[in-house]
Amino acid sequence: MTLLLQGLALGLLTGGLYALLAAGLSLYFGVMRVVMVAHPAFLFLAAYLTYSLHTGFGLDPLATMPITVPLFFGLGVLLQRVIIRGLDPMMSVLLTFGLALTVEGLLGTIYTGSYKSVSMDYATRSLSLGEVHLPYDKIIAFWIAVITLTALFALLVKSRFGRALRATVQHPEAARLVGVRTERVAGYGFGVGLATAAVGGTVLALVTPFFPASHWAWIGKLMAIIVVGGLGSVLGAALAAILLGVVEGLVLVTVDATWATLMFYAFLLVTLLLRPQGLFGGRLAHRF
Amino acid sequence: MRIVSSLLLVAAALAYPWLVPNYYLVYAGVLTVMYAAMATSWNILGGLSGYVSLGHSAFFGLGAYGTGLLVARLGWPWPLALGVSTAGVALFAALVGVAAVRVRGASFVIVTIALVSAMNLLAQGWRSLTGGSVALQVPSPFAGLHRGQTHLLFYHLFLALLAAVLLAWWLISRSRYGSGLRAIREDEDKAESLGVPTAAYKVVAFALSALFVALAGGLYALWFGSLDPIFVFSVVFGASMVLMSLLGGRRHLLGPLLGALIVAPAGEYFLIALGETQIHLTATGVLLVLVVLFMPEGILARRWRRDHNRRAPQVLRRSDGGA
Amino acid sequence: MARILAITVTCALLAAACAKTDEPGTAPRTGPVRIGVSLPLSGDFSEPGKGIQEGYQLWAETVNEKGGLLGRKVELIFRDDASDPNRVSSDYESLITQDKVNLVFGPFSSRLVIPAAKVAESYNMLFVEPAGAAKEVFEQGFKRLFYAAPAIAGDHYNYLAEYITKLPEGQRPKTAAYASLDDPFAQGTAYGLRDKLAAAGITTVVDEIYPPDTTDFGPIAAKIAAAEPDIVVGGTQFEDSVGLVRALQELKVQPKLAAFSTGPTLPEFPAAVKNAAEHVLSPVGWAPTTDFPGNADLVKRYKAKFGGDAHEDAANGFTVGQVVEAAVNAVKCVEPTRECQDKLADHIRQGTFDTVVGPLSFDEQGRPEQAHMIQQYVGGKVEIVLPAEAKTADIVFPKQAW
Repeated sequence: MTLLLQGLALGLLTGGLYALLAAGLSLYFGVMRVVMVAHPAFLFLAAYLTYSLHTGFGLDPLATMPITVPLFFGLGVLLQRVIIRGLDPMMSVLLTFGLALTVEGLLGTIYTGSYKSVSMDYATRSLSLGEVHLPYDKIIAFWIAVITLTALFALLVKSRFGRALRATVQHPEAARLVGVRTERVAGYGFGVGLATAAVGGTVLALVTPFFPASHWAWIGKLMAIIVVGGLGSVLGAALAAILLGVVEGLVLVTVDATWATLMFYAFLLVTLLLRPQGLFGGRLAHRF
Repeated sequence: MRIVSSLLLVAAALAYPWLVPNYYLVYAGVLTVMYAAMATSWNILGGLSGYVSLGHSAFFGLGAYGTGLLVARLGWPWPLALGVSTAGVALFAALVGVAAVRVRGASFVIVTIALVSAMNLLAQGWRSLTGGSVALQVPSPFAGLHRGQTHLLFYHLFLALLAAVLLAWWLISRSRYGSGLRAIREDEDKAESLGVPTAAYKVVAFALSALFVALAGGLYALWFGSLDPIFVFSVVFGASMVLMSLLGGRRHLLGPLLGALIVAPAGEYFLIALGETQIHLTATGVLLVLVVLFMPEGILARRWRRDHNRRAPQVLRRSDGGA
Repeated sequence: MARILAITVTCALLAAACAKTDEPGTAPRTGPVRIGVSLPLSGDFSEPGKGIQEGYQLWAETVNEKGGLLGRKVELIFRDDASDPNRVSSDYESLITQDKVNLVFGPFSSRLVIPAAKVAESYNMLFVEPAGAAKEVFEQGFKRLFYAAPAIAGDHYNYLAEYITKLPEGQRPKTAAYASLDDPFAQGTAYGLRDKLAAAGITTVVDEIYPPDTTDFGPIAAKIAAAEPDIVVGGTQFEDSVGLVRALQELKVQPKLAAFSTGPTLPEFPAAVKNAAEHVLSPVGWAPTTDFPGNADLVKRYKAKFGGDAHEDAANGFTVGQVVEAAVNAVKCVEPTRECQDKLADHIRQGTFDTVVGPLSFDEQGRPEQAHMIQQYVGGKVEIVLPAEAKTADIVFPKQAW
């Protein structure tokens, strides 16, 4: 019983992290119909930057975000405006696949293929609630995810930019007619997506060691999350992330790691068969 | 004249193993022809129906493990093992296809990526069957042959496979079925409303394309003799089929073949020239980005377009409209 | 166009009438002795691959200073296998049939050794390798393969198993938890210890295997926590050893003894887990402190050439060189002919060789017959604690809390 509770607790915390890591993917898809295979590669680019700033200048990993987040936002806008704009969805997948390889190769060339890790003093302590232990690094990761996602929702729902963005997502032509500069809005949307990768990368650096090829392990999992959540729905992806995180945690403590990871693909398959639009999503998935 | 030069090219391809000075180049030839056959079979789905799969290495791996297991564990004769495992993979692909082709475009790509990852996990996790990370050792069916002679034999087997796939693509593209697939590529909703049974067409294309890739996998298992899940079920491996088809031109019968003839040696070159660091990954990545951005129709399509532009510029407008 | 093509093809076909001269055995009998190696210089295994390369280079330098092999200079030819089995085969194929090297040395990864050895074996080349320690490597019927390190994976923990089983009844641990990476080498080490401890009556309470891309070790640690074992053993490489240690700390698992393969032998380990490294045990095949022939020289040369401290991978590469060097000097030939390569293999099979990892001898299938030492972090420093003959400090048991 304790074991199950422990699995549940860890799964919940990890699910929060998954939600943060998948948020960007949903956003790109919503805005651009782009499946950004390179998102995990950018996560690890951010993790490496955090590592460099941490070891080089002694910055606390969390304090690197004011540097990496704007940088990634700019990079995202640039990527969208210069190369991703105007590609059809299939080709964009291949293009971002190429980007992922490019980033991995650069990381490998600069940092070599060996593992790097950022270890803080709080990274090995935990909060105990009875027999259940909650690691501080995962708690921190969870709360950063909650804060970032809340800010993202607020941005999408409340701000002028958010309204323009949603209009662009739902009805590009209509949005253009009422004066939304859809191209520019899409660029900013992409930038925001990549900015979440900067946050996610920092958090990843805190909780796990990484090497240049680490991103491959994440592509399948994150893709499964956004399909199960409903492509293009940031909220749906967050809910699916928590759901899959918990399922994974429970399967891990009761069965084994292979089955836990297979759960992601099982959910993906079942979703496609029964509800191709995703558990929480709209009608987008069917079309694009 | 064309016929003469074609015949000569075929003769050169057949004679290649005797033309090169050492067995290493025969070995490299086997791999290149294998890639060409796989890229061409990928193109049955990717080129004709426009559905891009990044996960065809799943079928390669399944074909390889199927054949390998039947030979290594049950001692079946290799042609039977190859046939049975290929048929099994095609059937499996049809079943997966029923779920996979329910989604279009980018979602379809996600499904194919997930398929490879799931197969990798299964092959790695199901140790008692596949040997897992220890790798499955497949005894060579031609134990009497010297290593170089084995290369020679498999070079021609893969060449025969390539010829069969090319023939299949050519026949399909000229058939009613082929026009149906092309209609799906241009505008799926319209094709549907015109009465094309799109779902069935897509599933058949998916299964056919998987079938030939599985055959390649089975031959690979018999030739290479050692199967490791993380290497056969690899997304990068699947992506190289796509890169070859795209670069060569996926609207053209010989596009993927041309792509393979360029990409395989180029990969070897990058590795030798830049092999000291991982920058060769970047070189491959940048190549992919450039192809997608500047020549999404591939080399052959460009030439073809230029030739036709001289004659009939009007006709081409329509087929410009992307996948 | 067609005519030019026709002429070319006809000429080429005629030229091809002469048979290929690609059988090994036609290398010049003078000039440098060329040795071919394929290593993962890029890709998943790249860092340890570099270590082996450094070891090979140091050995070649040492030999050349002494006047070379049989009076001929040694020249190493490296190829990158990009951690890919197709590439590893193609590398050895080209080294043997195209470059016509005199000898080949083994690659790095366990997962690539079998495909590589198949190529060498089918061209009748001797294949001494520094990294393929999994038991399956020796079950393929290779006749010219030798693993140049003290012991195969399953025997790495032998001294520790002996130590634990000989503890007095009251102190002896009763339960053990095992978590291992799905990798033939890492798994082999952990299972070797598991089987010996289980035979001695120590109950296995957790036996987990996780796939190579596992990043989250919390749930595995939770399983271990629930079982409250006396011993925790990790069949690990680097990143998972760090992940496991952290997760065990977070879930407040405090075993009396913790042993991990590979990870703790790397200098990055104490940096990554900080104080938790204290009293962690690990099997190690080589130590800078031993006085085996050439070892002090290796340590000194390494520092001079590459900066930093010599490490186990470099020592393994160096050992391969030492074994082959001794064999070549004994049988007085270094040609890639079947006759000479067989002589070398026969000599290695029956002899004992002085190397930087100690005297080495091999069984019929090429398995080394010695044992790994056991290292422990004591007072923040790596000390050899087992066996008694080689120890630099006493083993600490039970370990302090992490």
